[in-house]
Amino acid sequence: MSALPVLLLVSLMSFAIVWIVPGDVASEMAGPTATAEELAQLRDRLGLNKPWPDQLLGWYSALAVGDLGQSILLRQGVGAAILERLPVTLSLTFLALAIALVLGTALGVLAAVRAGQGADRLAMGAALIGFSLPDFWLGLVLMYVLAVQLAWLPTGGFVPFSQDPLGWLRFMVLPAGTLALSQMGLFARMTRAAMLEVLCQDYVRTARAKGMPGWVVIGKHAFRNALIPVVTVAGIASGVLLGGAVVIEQVFSLPGVGRLIIGAIQRRDYPVIQGGLLLTATIFVLVNLAVDLLYAWLDPRIRHGRG
Amino acid sequence: MAVAKRVPGTWSRLLAHPSFRLGLVLFALVALCGLLAAWLAPYDPLRNNFRARLVAPGEAHWLGTDRFGRDILSRTLYGAQVSLRIGLAVAGVTALVGGAVGALAGFARRLDGPLMRFMDALMAFPAVLLAIALAAALGPSEVNAILALSIAYVPRTARVMRAGVMVVREFPFVEGAQAIGASSTRVLLRHVLPNALAPLVVQQTYVFALAVLAEAVLSFLGVGPPPPTPTLGGIISEGRDYIQEAPWISIVPGIGIALTVLGLNLMGDGLRDALDPRLRDAVR
Repeated sequence: MSALPVLLLVSLMSFAIVWIVPGDVASEMAGPTATAEELAQLRDRLGLNKPWPDQLLGWYSALAVGDLGQSILLRQGVGAAILERLPVTLSLTFLALAIALVLGTALGVLAAVRAGQGADRLAMGAALIGFSLPDFWLGLVLMYVLAVQLAWLPTGGFVPFSQDPLGWLRFMVLPAGTLALSQMGLFARMTRAAMLEVLCQDYVRTARAKGMPGWVVIGKHAFRNALIPVVTVAGIASGVLLGGAVVIEQVFSLPGVGRLIIGAIQRRDYPVIQGGLLLTATIFVLVNLAVDLLYAWLDPRIRHGRG
Repeated sequence: MAVAKRVPGTWSRLLAHPSFRLGLVLFALVALCGLLAAWLAPYDPLRNNFRARLVAPGEAHWLGTDRFGRDILSRTLYGAQVSLRIGLAVAGVTALVGGAVGALAGFARRLDGPLMRFMDALMAFPAVLLAIALAAALGPSEVNAILALSIAYVPRTARVMRAGVMVVREFPFVEGAQAIGASSTRVLLRHVLPNALAPLVVQQTYVFALAVLAEAVLSFLGVGPPPPTPTLGGIISEGRDYIQEAPWISIVPGIGIALTVLGLNLMGDGLRDALDPRLRDAVR
């Protein structure tokens, strides 16, 4: 993926979302009670009365100085509104990614080592169920059982990590665990397949033949090499998790970017929708760029220019 | 008389595959429920009955009722119908559009760069978020949900098709066809495409599953098909405020979604193993 043209297209698409709204964007945003004067003002503020090349020029020249426009409802800059809520969303996403990676690869290694046996079937069955359940629904059910019935965890809400790390974890563990489940299943399958491939390589047989203990062979020789495809998938998973976080934040009332965007979608606050789309896609592109670099670090064949 | 032993065909290979069989049974069950909703549903899914509000699952209402006294079983059956219709439409539209884009990108080297950068850009948006934003911008309706989900999921299909075409493109029989003077269109349509369809079929089973999940999210957030159409995500959303007194409202439709998606994913795994001998031998 070449990042620059993709970023250019992403920013174009994020802006173009207002063009697919059937009818008049301004009157849809302002609602049925708006006066003609208010409508004209709104069109002026959004630049909707200009021809489209000028609209685009305005969008890009504002982007060039880091300006994402003004939210109509929050009476706040879109960039500021997003930045304020970004820590919640990023911490949710990364906690979920960490849970999914650790549990998913562990499950995958277990399944590969016990390939064909009961533990393998059980692990792969769990993985399959993991990514077949609708996560927002699972979140509701878990909230009902763990928070409402058993009262082990709070039903929703948030404290920043900097204020109370333990409290943060209590609020985050259920949403992040729910969000992690589907990607955990994919990681487990990916790891199993990669491990099975690596385990029948000559160097693994050599390591076993020279008397190395089984767990060292698996941990040092096999797992490290099986991790390479898993890391690639982790980049894509980060995007899926970021999208999933939008819905999970809604279920668990977490004050993140997802709730900002959903609120904006429900109240037709287009500048926030545009900014939110642009930001999530940009994070995805940058994470995948980082994954490409990590990939090179993990695989010496790429680091030293193939061969 | 000696008879040469026949290599088992794709269908018998599929039916011998345990996870495909299980998936087929699950999916057929859900599909029948959806198709026959009008006959199977014990009540009108839209009719209010204020004397039977929030009734727990029991003899009169097997799976309970919601705050308007509407029968949850009937609503879930009709909701499954909507989910399946949307999922199937999205799988079809992405197969056509994504298949065409992927085939062109994989076959015509000059188009590869621009087409795939466009797909990469679409794929940079989290699919669910993109679908939500598009569905909201287009306005809530079933057709717009199909359109929004198809745009969000088309890049995956295009990528799979492109990869398949690029592999087949290098086979000697393609070179042979080109050598005897077949036109590019003929080579693509007659020789390359038919041999590159297997991964597409597998992928579209997964896209169907993803679309059913994402449609539930759209309806849950209120940007899917508008009420009074019963949708699985919509019923879950309505039950949210009653999760303490009447948890069945939200729980039942979620199980419907899970069974549909599980069935499709199991079928996808079976298809992958049966249609892609390389994967079957490597992984199994």
